[in-house]
Amino acid sequence: MPKHEFSVDMTCEGCSNAVTRVLNKLGDIQFEIDLPNKKVCIDSEHSVDALMETLKKTGKTVTYVGPK
Amino acid sequence: MDPNMSVSCVSISVEGMTCSSCVWTIEQHIGKLNGVHHIKVSLEEKNATIIYDPKLQTAETMQEAIDDMGFDAILHSPHPVP
Repeated sequence: MPKHEFSVDMTCEGCSNAVTRVLNKLGDIQFEIDLPNKKVCIDSEHSVDALMETLKKTGKTVTYVGPK
Repeated sequence: MDPNMSVSCVSISVEGMTCSSCVWTIEQHIGKLNGVHHIKVSLEEKNATIIYDPKLQTAETMQEAIDDMGFDAILHSPHPVP
C-alpha cells in the first residue's frame, strides 16, 4: 500500500487524539502519529487529496511532505 | 436589533480537549460556520457554549461539526426533540 507522510500542526495529545479519531472514521487506513515531530505517516489506498481533506477537518495546518 | 433575527443558545459537552490550542481550534472552526454568532469554549468545564441562529444551524449540526473535528461532543438538550 502507498505510504504518505504529512506534517500536521499538533501541539498536544488532544490534537493527536483528534487526528486519530478523524482518520479512524475514514476507515481502511493504517497510520502512525509522531507527536514530537508533528508528523503523520499514513498507509492507505485513499488518495492524497482525500487524506488531506480528512486531516484538515481537525482545523489544523496540514502540509503534504511526500511519499515514503 | 433586527426583529427577524432569531437567536438560540446551546451548551455542548466536549471531551478530549487537553490544551488551549484545542480550544482555539474549535473556536476558530465553529465560529466560522454560517449562522454562528458567538462561541465560547471552556477547557475547565469541558464544554462549548454557542449562540447561533436556529434558522441556519441546529444544536445537532454543531455537535456534528465538533465531532467531525475529532472531539467527543455530547449534546445536553433541556428539551429533547423526538
